[in-house]
Amino acid sequence: MNISKTPVLSVDQLTVRRGQQLALQAVSFSLEAGTDVAIIGPNGAGKSTLVQSILGIVSREQGTVQLLGQPLSTKKALPAAVRHQVAYLPQNFLVDRRLPLTVTELVALGWDKLGIQLPWAKAKARKLAVQQALARVEASHLGRKFISELSGGETKRILLAYCLVRSRQLLILDEAPAGLDVRSEADFYQLLYELKAEQGWTILQVSHDLDMVRKHCDRVICLNRRLMCQGVPETALAPENLTATYGPEFVRYRHNRHAC
Amino acid sequence: MQDLSTALNLFTYPFMQRALIGGVLTGLTGGILGSFTVVRQLSFFSDALGHSALLGISLGVVFGLNPSLVVLPFALLFAVGVTYLIEKTDIWTDALLNIVYSSSLAISIIVLSLEGTYQTGINNLLFGDILGVLPGDLLISGLLLLLSSLFVGLTLRTQVLLTLNEDLAIARGIHVFAHRIAFMMLLSLVVATAISSLGVLLVGAFVVIPACAARLFSRNFSSYLILSAVLGAASAAAGIFFSALFNLPTGPSIVIAQLSLFLLATGKKQWLDS
Repeated sequence: MNISKTPVLSVDQLTVRRGQQLALQAVSFSLEAGTDVAIIGPNGAGKSTLVQSILGIVSREQGTVQLLGQPLSTKKALPAAVRHQVAYLPQNFLVDRRLPLTVTELVALGWDKLGIQLPWAKAKARKLAVQQALARVEASHLGRKFISELSGGETKRILLAYCLVRSRQLLILDEAPAGLDVRSEADFYQLLYELKAEQGWTILQVSHDLDMVRKHCDRVICLNRRLMCQGVPETALAPENLTATYGPEFVRYRHNRHAC
Repeated sequence: MQDLSTALNLFTYPFMQRALIGGVLTGLTGGILGSFTVVRQLSFFSDALGHSALLGISLGVVFGLNPSLVVLPFALLFAVGVTYLIEKTDIWTDALLNIVYSSSLAISIIVLSLEGTYQTGINNLLFGDILGVLPGDLLISGLLLLLSSLFVGLTLRTQVLLTLNEDLAIARGIHVFAHRIAFMMLLSLVVATAISSLGVLLVGAFVVIPACAARLFSRNFSSYLILSAVLGAASAAAGIFFSALFNLPTGPSIVIAQLSLFLLATGKKQWLDS
């Protein structure tokens, strides 16, 4: 496990505008190595915008982001020194079902460094890494299938193999288990946390599942266009913080649901 | 229909040899770039460029310049303009392409109606004349094949990730806009060059049909890409041969050969699925 004292990720006074609207205002937080941090908040709170602005998918208006000690520019792509240390799984991983891409080819993309190279460069090492990653997520039998032929649960497992196939420090997950049934979601989290323990990953994940957050995460960031609170789950998920983040109706609804 | 030996005899003439080589080169290039064009849902782009190129050519005619030379910079301008509009507006790509190509077509028809001496040229522009391919055209086609092969070959993994999911690609440090515009410019040059052989009405088929047939035959992305190029070249060669055998127009014969391969692939898939 990485025990460096330097934060893996450091966000300072991050402000993002989407069109005319302020999507995030002066958000600051940092991630220590090996921790699992959840971002929670209602729909439209800017959770996905936050992770996308860190990665350069969405432009930042103000503020600074440091990833593994490297300052990230607002305009340019992630610098070479850090781009292979991060894996990102977007909220809606929609795949055109007509795309003739196999599971093996998808996982191999996670291993590739994506510069200018011959198509057959490092083919043996690549093949071996893909085989090992697929075996680890118990998906070796899916290797030749088109990605469009996978079930939701299988797709998520393959995406974890995509993250796993190369050694990485930070995983950014945006509602990764979205669309899965309860059983598949539990399987996904079990596999994710087994791999986290093995790989020493630091995780930043957007989630709506407060029970999962309470159970697994080390810290919670409550967001509603600005930072409402942050801390360990016991304090961040206290009713007063949830009320401030989601509004009083949500806390009443949650209380009633748990009472059932 | 001519007998087989007469048809084969035609290939001893330099103009038929050049047509065959030009067709195969364009087929290979169209297949390589077409494989990505189709899965990125840009099939309409090559058609739209073909139609829009008429404006570049008609301006060349009006200003007394060689239309073949005017069409290349025009194609680059088209690629940059369309990519910019796709990036900066919230309009659907096919709708944007329609706006650009129908406007270009309208302007070019007006320009050419003012210039009344280009009727023969117009026929060649619409339907192409692959038998009129010159050695210089072969050189340009060869260079574009080399450039396309290098671009796709050396950035293959990046192109595949970009096609799969742009957000994943950005998160891996890929400059999406730069790659997109480089691809569009290359595709534009290939389409613009092929217009003289196939005409503005049929040029899109070279990019789209072999790739679609390859998709139906393939079981992974690598074989799809290679097969798309092979089918592009094979259908060009077959089309030219059958046009010689049956004394048919060459450009349309190539498209019929491409269509036959596509129908064969469809039949094979239906048979396997059943």
